[in-house]
Order: sequence, then C-alpha cells, then structure tokens
Amino acid sequence: MNDDTLHAIATAPDLRELQALRVRLLGKKGELTEGLKALGALPPDERRVRGAALHQRKRAVEAALEARKAALERAELDARLAAERVDLTLPGERVPAGAHHLLTQVTHRLLDVFTSLGYEVVVGPELEDDRHNFEALNFPPDHPARDTQDTFWTTDGRLLRTHTSPMQVRYMESHAPPFRVVVPGRVFRNEAVDATHEAQFHQLEALVVGERITMADLKGAITEMATALLGSGTRTRLLPTYFPFVEPGAEFAIWWRHPKTGREEWLELGGCGMVHPRVFEAVGYEGVTGFAFGFGIERLAMVSYQVSDIRDLFRGDLRLLEQFRGVA
Amino acid sequence: MRVPYGWLGELVDGLPPVAETADLLAGLGLGVEGIETVPGAPAGVRVVAVLAVTPVSGALQRVEIDDAGQRRTVACAAPNVRVGMRAAYAPPGASLPGFDGVLDVREVGGVRSEGMLCSPRELGVFEHAAGLLALGEDAPVGADLGALWPSDAVIELEITPNRADAFSLLGVARDLAAKLGVPLRHPAAGLEGAVGDPSADDGLEVRVADPAGCPRFSLRRVDGVRVGPSPVWLQRRLALLGLRPRNVVVDVTNLVTFELGQPSHAYDRDALTGGVLEVRRAAPGERLVTLNDDELALDPEDLVIATPDPERGSRAIGLAGVIGGREDSVRDATTSVAVEVASFEPIGVRRTGKRHKLVTDARIRFERGVDPALPLTANARVTALLAAWAGGRPHPGVTWVGEAPTAPPAIAFRPSQVGFLMAVELAPAEQRRHLERLGCDVATDADDRWRVTPPSWRADLALEVDLIEEVARLHGYEHIGTSVPQIAFVPPPTDPTHWRLRERLVGAGMLEAIGYVFTGDEDLARARVPAAHVRLSEPQGVERAVLRTSLLPGLLAVARLNRDAPRLALFEVGHVFVEREEERLGLLWRGHGAASGWRPAREHDVYAAKGALEALAEGLGAELEMRPAPFADLHPGVSAEVLWDGAAVGRFGRLHPEVAADWGCGDVVVAELRLPLDTRPPRLRELPRQPFAERDLAVVLPLDVAYADLHARCAQAAGERLVELFAFDVYQGPQVDEGLKSVALRFRFRHASRALTDVEVDADMAQIMAALRAAGYAWRT
Repeated sequence: MNDDTLHAIATAPDLRELQALRVRLLGKKGELTEGLKALGALPPDERRVRGAALHQRKRAVEAALEARKAALERAELDARLAAERVDLTLPGERVPAGAHHLLTQVTHRLLDVFTSLGYEVVVGPELEDDRHNFEALNFPPDHPARDTQDTFWTTDGRLLRTHTSPMQVRYMESHAPPFRVVVPGRVFRNEAVDATHEAQFHQLEALVVGERITMADLKGAITEMATALLGSGTRTRLLPTYFPFVEPGAEFAIWWRHPKTGREEWLELGGCGMVHPRVFEAVGYEGVTGFAFGFGIERLAMVSYQVSDIRDLFRGDLRLLEQFRGVA
Repeated sequence: MRVPYGWLGELVDGLPPVAETADLLAGLGLGVEGIETVPGAPAGVRVVAVLAVTPVSGALQRVEIDDAGQRRTVACAAPNVRVGMRAAYAPPGASLPGFDGVLDVREVGGVRSEGMLCSPRELGVFEHAAGLLALGEDAPVGADLGALWPSDAVIELEITPNRADAFSLLGVARDLAAKLGVPLRHPAAGLEGAVGDPSADDGLEVRVADPAGCPRFSLRRVDGVRVGPSPVWLQRRLALLGLRPRNVVVDVTNLVTFELGQPSHAYDRDALTGGVLEVRRAAPGERLVTLNDDELALDPEDLVIATPDPERGSRAIGLAGVIGGREDSVRDATTSVAVEVASFEPIGVRRTGKRHKLVTDARIRFERGVDPALPLTANARVTALLAAWAGGRPHPGVTWVGEAPTAPPAIAFRPSQVGFLMAVELAPAEQRRHLERLGCDVATDADDRWRVTPPSWRADLALEVDLIEEVARLHGYEHIGTSVPQIAFVPPPTDPTHWRLRERLVGAGMLEAIGYVFTGDEDLARARVPAAHVRLSEPQGVERAVLRTSLLPGLLAVARLNRDAPRLALFEVGHVFVEREEERLGLLWRGHGAASGWRPAREHDVYAAKGALEALAEGLGAELEMRPAPFADLHPGVSAEVLWDGAAVGRFGRLHPEVAADWGCGDVVVAELRLPLDTRPPRLRELPRQPFAERDLAVVLPLDVAYADLHARCAQAAGERLVELFAFDVYQGPQVDEGLKSVALRFRFRHASRALTDVEVDADMAQIMAALRAAGYAWRT
C-alpha cells in the first residue's frame, strides 16, 4: 500500500475504473481485505498495531473512493445537463388558441352581469309571426310604427323578427310573474347595408314584471348594467321617446369615455320603458307592471373595440377572427 | 323633420339659444339628430332686374340688367331668364360657394360678361341648378341678397310615429311653449273670422262619395292670383326645410304643410269641370299621372280626387292625401285657384302610399293623423298668404263638406300613478298645470280621480299611462329616481346560449365565426345541402333570397375566403331553417394540428377531427359514436352519422372532393350537429382497489368490418370483468393477406374486490376468441 494507490483512485478516469479499483482493494479478495483476514494469524501485540494501521488505511481508501465517485458522478451529470440543453427561445409546438366571436364575447359579458343580478337567460326563434313580432306588441296592422321596422317577410307570410321583443310575448304567454329575464338574439332589418348597417344584427333585451315595478327600477337596472360594464360612478340618461310596446317610453344613454377619441360623452344605447298595458292585455296579465329595455350588441362591440365596418363581423376573415383572442 | 330655428323663434317667446333649445326638444322626446348651420346668400350678391334678353347661340343669351341704376351685360344660359324678372347678380370679384374661383369680367361666346346671374346651387341656398334663382318684386333692385337671405340654424328632429302633431313647426312650438311656460304665437291666430262663409255661393261644389275615407273637405276659391316667384322670406323658409321653391301658390301650400301640419292642394280652378270636385274610390283600370310625371295604375281601394269629365264621366286629378295630378295643377297662366284642405282617413292614405311606393309630406302627416279641427283654419291661412303674397282675392264663401270633429273621449287619470310609476314627486296642481299647458282639459271628480280630455291634435293620448308620460315628459325624465326591483324570482340554471359548449371548442383551439342566415338557392345546391324551405318576399338579391338550411355553406365560404391559411379550425352556432327552425353547431377543420413551425407538424386528418368531437363529448359527459352513413355533401368513404349518447344528432366526414373543388375551400373535414347536445353532470364512482389484468390480441379480419363491430363483438363476449378495451395498432400490408387487416386489441380485466387469477382471465379471453372465431376472424400469435 502506498500513495500510488490513492493517486490511482483520485485519477480513475470513470466510474467503471473506479469500481475495478474498489474490487481490487476492498473486494472479497481485495488487497486490504486479504490483509485484514491475515491479521488473525498474528500475535496479539503485532495484530493490534498492524490492525490499527490497516483499518486506518481502509478508511482512507474508502474516503478516497467515495470522493472520486462523487466527483465522477457530478462530472457525468454536468456532461448530461450540458448535452440536454435546448434553446427555449424557439417557438413551442401548439394548437393556436381559439377565440369566441367578438359578438359572443360582448353578449356573454352582458349575460354574466344579468345572471348575477338574478335574471334568467331565455332565447327564441328568429323566424316569427306577425302576432308575436307586431300585434301583441301593440303594433296594429297598417300602423306607421311598422315603418320603423323594415321587415323581411317570407313568402309564406311569416317574418324574420325585427327585434328580440317577441320573446317578451312568448315568455309571458308561458310563465307567470314575477320574473326577470334577459333575451339575447339575432334580429333582422331589410335596410340598405353599409359600414354601419347590416341586414342582420344582435340585440339584448331585458324584461322584468312584478306587482310594483316602476320606472325607477328600470333606471336602476340600466345603471347596474352600466356600472358592471364601465365601473362605478357611471351615469345613465333617459329621454322620452316612442316604442309601441312601452308607455312611458324612453331611449337610454350611458356616460362613458369613448375608447378612440378619449372624449367623455353620452353613448346612445337603446330603447326602454314600462310595458304597455295593451301588451299585458295581449298575454292575459292583470294587476302587474313591468319594464323592458333593449339595445344592439354590434354598436356596443364596434365602439368598444373600434370595428369600423359592421360587415367585417360576419365575413369570417381569419385575420379578424384571430384578433378576437384575449380576455374581454 | 327640419326645424329652422329662426322660424321657431317667431312662434315661441324667449326661445333659448339653439343648442339649449335642442336639448329641451330632446328632453321632450322630440329626438334631435343634429343641428346644422345653413349659410345665407353669399356676401356681395345683389338683386338686379333683367332689362333685355338677346339670344346669341345655342342656349347662350346676352342679358342686360339694371344693377342699382347701372346697366350691365352678362352672359347667361339659364332657360328661365325673362325680361322684367329679378335675379341674383354676382359682380366681378365675388366668390360663390357653388362656383369655383373668383368672378371676373370675361368674354363668353362673344358676350362680354361682367360677373354672372346665379342659380340657387351657385349661391348655395338650395339644390337647383337648372335655372336662375327667380326673385319676386318684394326683392328691391340693388338690395344685398345676403341681408335678405341670412343664415340660420336648422334643428333636425326625428319625430316618432305617434307624434302626428309634431310634424309641424306649430307642434314643436307647442311642446316648447308648454315646457317653458310661455305663450305660443299661433301662425293662424286672428284668422278665426276669415274661414269663409259656407252658405255663400262660390261656384264650387264638392261631392264626397266616401265620407269614411274623407270625413272633412274644404274648398276655397281665390281669384286674381299672380303665379310667380315667391317672396324671398318664403323661398328661404322652404329652402331651410329642404324643399325647392316652385311658385308662390305651390310654395304657400307647402309652407302651411310644415307650419301647421295640415297638407293642402291648390287646383287651377279653370281645370275643374263646372267647379266640381269629387272624392271617390278609383274606378277599375283608372290611371293618374302625378305631379312627378309618374303614371299610376290605380287600385279600386285608392281614394282619389276627381272632376267630372265629358267623355269618361269623371276623371281622377289627384290621389287623396298623397299626391296631386299633373294636369290640373297650377301653372304660370293660372289666375284663379281652388284651395283644398281636407281630412283623410289614415289607414287608407297609408295603404295607397305603400301601394304606389309614394312617400310624400302629405302622406307622412295624413297616415299619422292630422288634427281634425284644422282644415278650415289651415285653409284660411293658405288663403291669407295668397292674398298677401300672390295678389289673390279670397272669395268670401267656402265650400265645406263634413262635420266638425267631436271631442276625443275623456281619460280617467289618477295623479298618484305618476308618483308610483315614474317615481317622481310632483304635486297634483303641478301635474294639472302640465296637462293644461299641453292643451288638455282637466276635470276633477275627486282628489285622485280626474277626467282629462286631450286636445284635438293629440289622438295618441288614449290611456292613463299616456297621460303619465305626458306629465313626466314635461316635468323631465331626469327627475326619475333609481331603485332596484324587489321581486322574488330565482332563475333556473340553464345554458340556452350554449356557452359551455363554446368554451370547450374555443379551448380546443377553434375560432368562432358568425355567418348570415341569408343565402341563395345556388349556394345551397352547390353545397349539396337541402333546398330552401323559407324564401324572403323582398330579398336583397338572389344570393340572399332564402334562409340557410345548413351552417356548412357559410363555413365553406369562410374556408374559401381564407384559402391561404395553413390551418383552419372553425365553428359556428346558429339557426337553420328546415322543416322547422333549429339550432345547430357547424364545425370545419383544414390543415395541420399542433405545430411549431420549425419541425414537422401532424396533418389534421379526419381522426384528429373526430378526436376533437370525442373530447367534446367526453367533456360534456356524453358518449359519441359514429355510424358510417352516406351524405350527399360528404366523401362517400369518409362519411358518418353522429350519435350523441345514442341519439342521431348530425353528420361528420370529409367534404366530398367535388364540392370542395367547386367551392375552392380545400380538403376539409366538416360536421354539423343539432343543438342542444345533451350534457350530463359528473358521476363519481368508487376508486378501484384492484389492479387490472391485461391481455393483447391481434385480430385478423376483413378490411370492410368496422372497428365498432369488432369492439362490440368482443365486449359482448367478454362478460363483466372486462373494464377496458381499445385498439393499439391497426395494420394492413404484406404481413396479412390481401383484403384483410390486423387490429391489435388490448383488453383489461378487473374484479371489484379481489385480484383475478390467470385462469379466470384466460377463460374470459377464450370466450372472446370463440366469438371471434365464430365470426370467421383469426388472430396473429
């Protein structure tokens, strides 16, 4: 035994060599093992001296083996880590993110607000009849108010609903008050198509009926919606106007900062009012009052996201659809 | 409707500035669309008299004018230049809004022209370029036209269809005066004594054959009329309204239409046979040429104004309440006119107007309802204006057929309802004042029981809520409070907009499109989807003539539009119109799946698309199966009916290559499913405590046997210990015989409470293999 042994251990090139050394020194027939076995044949005094020296030597060898093993293992790990290095700045492999249509996002955001306020979401047919779209909503035949609703009639005498309000009639025909409902849906107007007018667009309509519903409740509901959309301190404005199915009737606007111009101004949103007694009559309700309000989704979406041409919303150009990714 | 601010100020005392007035109008429910500042005549333009007109060549004439005593020459091509007329003259150095550059002295076709005579368009006062602005004798020669024709602001109002009364300056002024609490200056004030004596013989006769269609008719004779240009103030007023001045008679009737809201018509009296006018329904086959030179084929429902005719007995000379006829209208040579002011029943006027697609100022007012108390007053107003500005001598008599209107029924009204419904505090006395200012008559039966009679011009007021709105409108909607409705209502948890479905699709990397419900027969045929069930009667073109019967043509169009995109994954949720209206989900895939761009991407083939649907079903708690079935629009070998929890909900497959080529949309995989797709809440089971035992078997069977059949056969034979079965390899090639394929199956068996022995599992496998052998299949070992 000499320092050559320790040197050999310390310079063992790899774990295999090191293991061979361990066997040669500490194996069943290893040099040190044999030496320790031979101790038994020695006289006691010599055995003690020689044994102590051998044990010391064994500990030194073991320590050297462990140290070398640790060093070799670390080197091996380092080598592996170096080999496994990749460039994480390269693009990942993925399915591109999907996106809801902008109109769906805006509608859903509004529905979220209304469901949290205790409204039920209901939907109805797009192909309607005269009774639900007009008559029961107090648009008598041959009334000029029908001119405000450029109607797509079908050859079989039906029509594409000009507003979501037919659902007021449908819901009341099949439910008893009190209730709060909100109706999103697609509506149609047969008017010239341009950057701000489409033959199809979307509306959202709310209807609340109970024993003592008032115009203040209406204003409160609009204010709550506006606050949920735009934050606290939002102001709302009602101006008198006429819709056959409400009386008193109003148009409503909310005070907001225009996202493009940055100017604070009234955003004219839609129409509202107290449900007309003739509408209640048409569905057989008595002794209740109610309010309704409705507005267009496209307009809100377009001013909020600066869409300049309404037709782009329905063309399906991927370059636009892809921009709808993100969190509304 | 355009409301000139200056004119409005003549009717309402102390009118606030224009912007403030517009705000007041908006607050009254007379919707303000905008305020336009309309310039007056340009500076430097003077009134001149035409002294001589000499034709030069073609249309060109040399015109000599009296320019405040100076004789000047101008070149002029206007057809209406006449000796003696007054015209607008722009001297050299003037600049005009409708004329490029600065005027100069120059030669035009050999005529030395010092400036020019101007058309209305060149002056920028109204849109007419076919002749000079013709002025009447009220315009003094040498006067500065800019001073006679100053600028004004025009408030543009959108009058709602209920407010028939507000289609006039008078109606707008009434609301404003009521709001401001100031007196109204009625344009016809003082004419009460000038309505004419019905018993006097004026040589006119009116025969109303249809009193229901025409409840009231007045005809007033005015002689000695000089038909010429209107006075400047009248022309300017019409120009501000957006009308083109014609001649003083027509202009006066138009003015009164807008001033009082009562349309009228002036006939050349000499054209009325025997001075007789008839009001009757049109005869079958009768025709009428209108003022606008349109020849109308009249319907027997049309109400016409007619005069006796020696040949035909009677001939129509006007369409009642809509438009006059060409033949009997006032012309330059007319000296005696008969002024018609009548009431026509709204629905008849509306139907006639719609039938002939005529939207006129008269129709707009009659179909909404004109104040029935107005005809005689309005006739007196027209007559007075003709006397003042056309030299007319009104006949002391008037021909009148019809009855005075009865007062509208009183409305029971409770002032307490204003407080309740509008949530505004307003004392009954204040409410009464508001109603009275609007022209209502208020009688009090008890504290909270009033009888309110609306004025003759407010036919829209019929119910208590109408009066509540009137009170609130005048008080101001800004006083309405804010509260939260207190009702006991718990909405059911439903998802009618399919939000959860959409969320999963978007999460799977799909983009949502929204297409049109309108489509064309040709697109439906080219997409090989069912023909249209619903057709529009007045479509916006053949490509939008019918309603879609499938969402797929719309998605194919999107795929074509985006044909250069390497990857498409689209969906749409929308209505289709087949035997009934139903809601569907359309899906389309094209190109690769997951990709990085810098190493090879997997093609997004039909199995990837199917996997997306399977994952969708799995996520919603449903089971999805596909049963091979042919569909016209799909590749015959890649086409299946989709079963959702066992129910057929639609189709899935690769688009038929012919359809794909026809649409230019590329090789796409599509699906269309009926909504709603049933969902199930999560169902939790106890976790298995035992490991499963696994066996593999490569079954060799004919190519045309569906995997679903193999799967079902194995599952049926295996018994209840088989908990999982799936294919982990499908092979066809040299290792198996021609016409055969090898499907490697992995079976997993488990017992709920104990470990299975090899003997038990082998027994299960033996049963399965027996069933496969019975079907004629082999297996590879």
